This record gives sequence, C-alpha cells and structure tokens, in this order.
Amino acid sequence: MAVDEGSWYGQDSGVSQVRGQLFEAICLLATSVGIVSVLILLLYVTLDAFEPLTADPGWHLVFLLTLVLPATLLAIYYYRSSDPAGEVAYVTTGLPIVGLLLSGGVLVVFAELLAIKEWFALALSLGAVGVVWYAHKRGRPSAVLERFGILILGTAVSVFGLPPTALARVAGLPKRIVSLRELVLELPYLPLSSLQVVATLTLPVAALAGLFVARRRASRRDGVVAAALIVTGALFGPVIDAVVGINGEVWVVLVTMTAVPVAVYIEGVVRRKEGVAGLAFPLVLVGGVAVGTVLVNALGFAGPDVWLDWSYLTSAPSTTPEEAGIYPALVGSVMLLLVIVAMTFPVGVGAAIYLEEYAPSNGLVGKFVTLIEINIANLAGVPSVVYGLLGLALFINFVHLPSGSVIVGGLTVGLLILPIIIISAQEALEAVPDSMRQASYGMGATRWQTTRNVVLPEALPGIMTGTILGLGRAIGETAPLLLVGIAASVGLAPAGFLDLTGAMPRQIFTWAFEPKPEFRYGVLAAGVVTLLAVLLVMNATAIVIRNKYQRE
Amino acid sequence: MSADTSTTEAITSPPEQATRERLYRYALFACAAVSILVTLGIVLVLGYGAIDFFQQYDPVAFYTGTEWIINRDKLGVLPLLSGTVLVTVLSAMVALPIGLAAATYLSEYASERARSVLKPALEILAGIPTVVYGYFALVYVTPFLQALGLPLGTFNVLGASIMVGIMILPMVSSLSEDAMSSVPDSLRQAGYGMGATKFEVSTGVVIPAAVSGIFSSFILALSRAIGETMIVAVAMGQSPQLISVADPLSNVFESNLPMTSAMVQLVQAENAGGVIYQSMFAIGLTLFVVTFLMNLASNRIAAHYREEYE
Repeated sequence: MAVDEGSWYGQDSGVSQVRGQLFEAICLLATSVGIVSVLILLLYVTLDAFEPLTADPGWHLVFLLTLVLPATLLAIYYYRSSDPAGEVAYVTTGLPIVGLLLSGGVLVVFAELLAIKEWFALALSLGAVGVVWYAHKRGRPSAVLERFGILILGTAVSVFGLPPTALARVAGLPKRIVSLRELVLELPYLPLSSLQVVATLTLPVAALAGLFVARRRASRRDGVVAAALIVTGALFGPVIDAVVGINGEVWVVLVTMTAVPVAVYIEGVVRRKEGVAGLAFPLVLVGGVAVGTVLVNALGFAGPDVWLDWSYLTSAPSTTPEEAGIYPALVGSVMLLLVIVAMTFPVGVGAAIYLEEYAPSNGLVGKFVTLIEINIANLAGVPSVVYGLLGLALFINFVHLPSGSVIVGGLTVGLLILPIIIISAQEALEAVPDSMRQASYGMGATRWQTTRNVVLPEALPGIMTGTILGLGRAIGETAPLLLVGIAASVGLAPAGFLDLTGAMPRQIFTWAFEPKPEFRYGVLAAGVVTLLAVLLVMNATAIVIRNKYQRE
Repeated sequence: MSADTSTTEAITSPPEQATRERLYRYALFACAAVSILVTLGIVLVLGYGAIDFFQQYDPVAFYTGTEWIINRDKLGVLPLLSGTVLVTVLSAMVALPIGLAAATYLSEYASERARSVLKPALEILAGIPTVVYGYFALVYVTPFLQALGLPLGTFNVLGASIMVGIMILPMVSSLSEDAMSSVPDSLRQAGYGMGATKFEVSTGVVIPAAVSGIFSSFILALSRAIGETMIVAVAMGQSPQLISVADPLSNVFESNLPMTSAMVQLVQAENAGGVIYQSMFAIGLTLFVVTFLMNLASNRIAAHYREEYE
C-alpha cells in the first residue's frame, strides 16, 4: 500500500499536501491521546501510592546513583549490543518475581486454607490412586471403562471414604469405610512438616526438572544430578530451621518454586553461552538496592512515606487509613483464581479441542457445532453484570451455595471468562500446521493420540498465553462479584472454599466510597497499584511465553 | 474431514481403543456443549426472574414509568434507560472519532515500527480493570474537569463517560484497523493511479470500502458501553434522572443511574426483598437482550465484510 505519491503531478498541489499532513497529524494525535492520558493517570496513582516527594532529596540522590544510573546504563548497553543479552536480563529479573509470587501463593494456601498436614494426606491418597490406576493399566490394558470406574471410585474412597451402606452392614464390614486421607491424618507419627512439603511438592518438581535437564542435555546422568541437587537444596530446610531460625517450610517452597526455575534457566544460558552478559542485570539491581540502603541508613536520609508497603500487604482492612491493609482481599483473589483455573482450564481447552480437532463440519452435529461457535462469540460480549445475575440465581438461589463464598465467586467469574479461554485456545490449536497431524495419522495414530501427543504439546505455549491473559481479565472483574455478594471488606482471610471472602477489586470498590481523603489518595491508590502490579506480572509472563514460542 | 475417518478408525483399531476414542470424543463434546448450557442458563434465569417480577409489577408501568424510587416501590425503567443512553452517547462521542482516526493512522500511515509500539499500547488500555477506570474518573478526572471550571458534582456523568470512552477505544481502533487492512491493495493502487493523494485514498477509498467492518466495530463498542458496570457504579453516583429535553447539558454535569449500576444498587440495598429484588432480573433481561442483539448484528456485519474481501 505504500505507493509513493511523489511529485510527478507537479509541485503546485501545496494545499492538498497541507491537508494530508494535517490529517496524518490528527490521526497520530488520536492514536496517542488515549495511551498518553492513561499513562498520566497511572503516573498519578503510582505517585499517590508511593509518595516519593516525602523523602529527603538525599535519599533520591543516593538511589539515583546506586540503582537507577547503573541499571539504565546497563539497559542501554543491552539495547545497543546483541539481542539475547537484553532478553536474558529481562527473564532473569522477571523469573524470580514470578517465582516469588507463586511461592507466596503456595504459602498463603498453606497458611489459610490447607494445613500442610492435610495437604500431605491429600497428596498421598491421590498418589495411591495414581499407583492403583497405573498398576491396572499395566495388568489389564484393554479394560478402559473399568479403569475409568476405578479412577472415580478410587478417588472417592481414598479422599472421602464411603458412607455407611446396607451392603457394608450385610458383609460385616465396619460402619463407615475410613478414607486413606483420614488414616494418614491419624497416624501417631508424621514427618516434620517441612519434610512433608519436600515429599509432596519438591519431589515432583525435581522429577520434572530432572526430565527437562536430561532431555535438553541429552544425558540421563545430568538429569539425575539436577534432581538430586534440587532435593538436597530443599532438604536444607529443616537444618536451617533448627540453626538459623528461618522457617523450614518457607525455605523449601522458595527453593522449589523460585530457585529451581531460575537455576534451570541460568544453566541453559551459561551452557549455550548466549547473552551471558544479561545475567549481570539482576545482580546490579540487587546490589544497587543493598548499597543504597546501607548508604541511606549511614547518612540518615529518610525514605518516602509509602502507602504500599509490607504492612499494607499483610494487614486487614481498617477504618484508620494508616492501619488499613489488603491481605484478606489478596488471599481471597488468589483463592478465587484457584477455583477459576480449576474450572475453566479443563473445560475451555476441552471445548477448544473438540471444536478444532473433532467437530464435523456437516450433518446435524455440524449444524450444532456452528451454533456453538456463534454462541461462544456472543457469550464473550454479554455484560459481566449479567453473569453476576446468573451466578446469583444459579449457585446461590438454586444450588444454595453460601452467598459470597469463594466457590460461588470463582464459578461465576469462571463462566464469564470461559468463552475467552475457549477462543484463545482455539486460535492456538489452529496455528498448529496440518502437516503435523497428517504425519501422525500416517503413523497409524488415532485422533486422540494425535491430539495428545502432537497437537497439544505444540499448542501448549499458545494455550498458556491465552489462559494467563484470560485470568488477568478475571482478577480485575468486579461486577459479578458484587452481585453474588462477595464481602465488601473482610477482616479474616477465607479458610475454605465455602467461606465468605473478599477480593481485591471488591475492596477497591468499597474504599472508593470512604469519605476521608487519605483513603482516596492513599489506601485506594495503593490497592489499585497492587492490582495493576499483579496484572502486569501476569501479562509480562504471557508475553514472554508468546515471544519464545513464536521464535521457535 | 472427521466423520468418515472416525468410522475407519473404529473398523481398523482394536475394540478397546475404539471405546477409549469414543469416551474422549464424548467428554470433549460435553466440554463444548457447556457454552450452550451457559446461554440457556442465562436465558432461563433472566426469563424466569423477569416473569416472576412482571406478575407482581405491571410491565407497562415498568417500561413507561418515569420514576425510579425503590423505597417507595416506584420502579419505572425510563430514568435508568436515559442514564444508559447518556453514558453511551457521550462515550461514543469520545471513542468513535478517536478510534476511527487511530485505526486510519495504524492501517494507512504508521510505519512498521510505530505500529509495533502503538498497537500493544492500545491493547493495554483494554486490559486495565474497569473498577480502576472508575477510580480514575472519580479521583483524578472529575477534579481535573472541575478545575477547568465545569460545574460538576463529585459524582457525574461526564467524567465516567470519558473513562468509558477510553475503555472502549481499543475495541473500535483494533477492529476498524482489521477491517481497513483487509481492504485489498489493488483498490488503493487504483486510487493512486487516478492521481489521488494519500489523504484522498484513505478517506475516499479505504474508509468507504471498510465501512461495514468499521460499523460492526462501532456497534460492538456501543454494546460494551451499555453493559459497562464498574466505571458508572464508582463514578456516576446513584440518583436516577430523566434527560431533561430543555437542558440536556445539565444532566451531563450531574449524577445519574444507568441500568447496570441500578442492579448494583439493588443488590446492595439492605431492605430489598420481593418485588424490588426481582426487578433486577427484568433490568438484566432488558440489558441482555439489547446487548445480545447488538453483538449478533455486529458479528453478522463483520462476517459480511470478511466474505467480501477474503
């Protein structure tokens, strides 16, 4: 389209050139006006949340010299030099942040929702079901339906136990068959809680990481070494607990969720020798903060009076602005996300697989499939408040789940983002080249085998990207939460999925009507920045996954 | 391509494999059918609730009533409708021209590099939670407009509408840009061949050729503005008012209550039982039908232009 409208028709068309340039300038202005105004608003809210002007000028000067200046110079160097160093710097800075957020999420779940002991028992009983399932698959590979039944019944028995039945009484069995989970909980001796975390969390992660390393370095031994290193690192937890006093469980979770991915990534960078210079960036950041803090303390410069600090993140809402915090709402949002993921990911990806891989395009079923596709597109445009009404009538008035509970909020928002997840997963599946499917069919694979072994692994990064973006949409959704009665403000984090809960956006809505200016310009701004920071991390993760995937 | 291959699979593969294949197919189909169940659920829930309401409250009085006072059981939807219309029109005045101009720039003028920066930046606008936009409107935009000398209340239509406009802006710009980029280059070349300037080609050839796609993006954006809840619930207050025909500008500076925030008001009202509670479903049904029809129309029009050029 870029045909040069040069000057062959003469230079005397000056008027029309002015008109054209004016038009272009207006269009450019229009493109930037929305972006610029929102950037200004974001700047305002950040300033309100951190109030940097309350700090000494010396404080700013110290951190400018120790942190901002070196980091900027390094960034300019990366930008000018080779491409991979910049990306390595970006990922090695971002990966620990994502890992820390995940670790925080796991620790919050352990602290508020599922005591480590209960998690241990649950994991063991599920593992037992897995062993039975695998043994059955080995022993009777052809009895598919039987195995399916065993899977469901086994999970039920092992997690929930069986209620007393007439049959059991006749057979002379005890009144109620106790579940494996309860048996584990009643054991007289349980290992240290940090060891329980090692067994149930670190071992699977170590196995995965070991497999990954083994495949990447094409060496079984390296994989085993990597897995052994991870487990050893985690086992330091109990020791450190006894010696230094850092909580052993925190150590184990941090090692498993944060240190392992970072170490695996750095190992890859060092081995490929691509962009090793990028590893300096997080070191410069951490070093700058450390040196700056020491200097500021030594010189006696006061830092800014920030609203968004550690105590804000860890305390409950309050009527005094200085004491108000967002912790229960933050935990509520994390738990809502758990429900949303558990519900939308399997159903959404399953639906996308059916529509892309299985759905016939003609016949009666074909017509139904067309109807489904139109329907999904329309559902994506239904106002969120209508989903709130659906959740209110369906889950609360009809099923009688407790109003304002985690499960109700999660299911309602889950229904809302389901079409978004389906559409993005469909796009990811569509991008898998047909030749790969044909090759798999040519090898004699069935449709499901092709889908599971060829299409899904290829489309997984795209599906992950779409899901994370969808979850970003879910975490900021407020209107449905209002309608299903999510609490305006809670003092305690929910301890179970049926408990009343708050949520970050709901809490922001509540604070918006507090008359005190400290709330409007301080507490509220800090809440908005927290929400946006979580969103930013999620979106940045999605973009990194997408970029990596597009390149390969 | 699927129905025939699955039968051959059933013939050639061992029976247990066929059982498993069928099991997976049914499970996946069930997942896909969930979306239909959701739509059915919405229709049933809203329809049932609305019927319940209209048995207790005269539908004619509901749709022609000019007063909305829930404490006195006066449930006329017209003030709410007028609030929704106000927000939609004002936000359209912000978003449609700016969005169209932005789409023109991105599709016709922007260099590859500028596009790679501007497009994701515009998409960020769509990713910001709407409650945050509401907060912006209440805490920053309204005081700013007041400082400019406009006679605004703390809660007002104008500030909220500007924010709704910015929220729907990326929808207009990205969908319109899609429509403009799918106009074949041959049309542009023909325009240049006739001696037209780039401005004349953009406004005289590309925009008219993409008009159905642009129109579809407008409808979709308006439907989003109608259904937008949190911005208006935070920044527009809760006093329902009919548009005064003599002085519509005065409504813009004051608080108002569109349909969506009326639902929020109803669910939060403490003494709301019975008929007042049920009115939420009648409003919801109205909202759902209007936005659903608009989305349907938009998709139809968009499908039409895709057929035309692809």
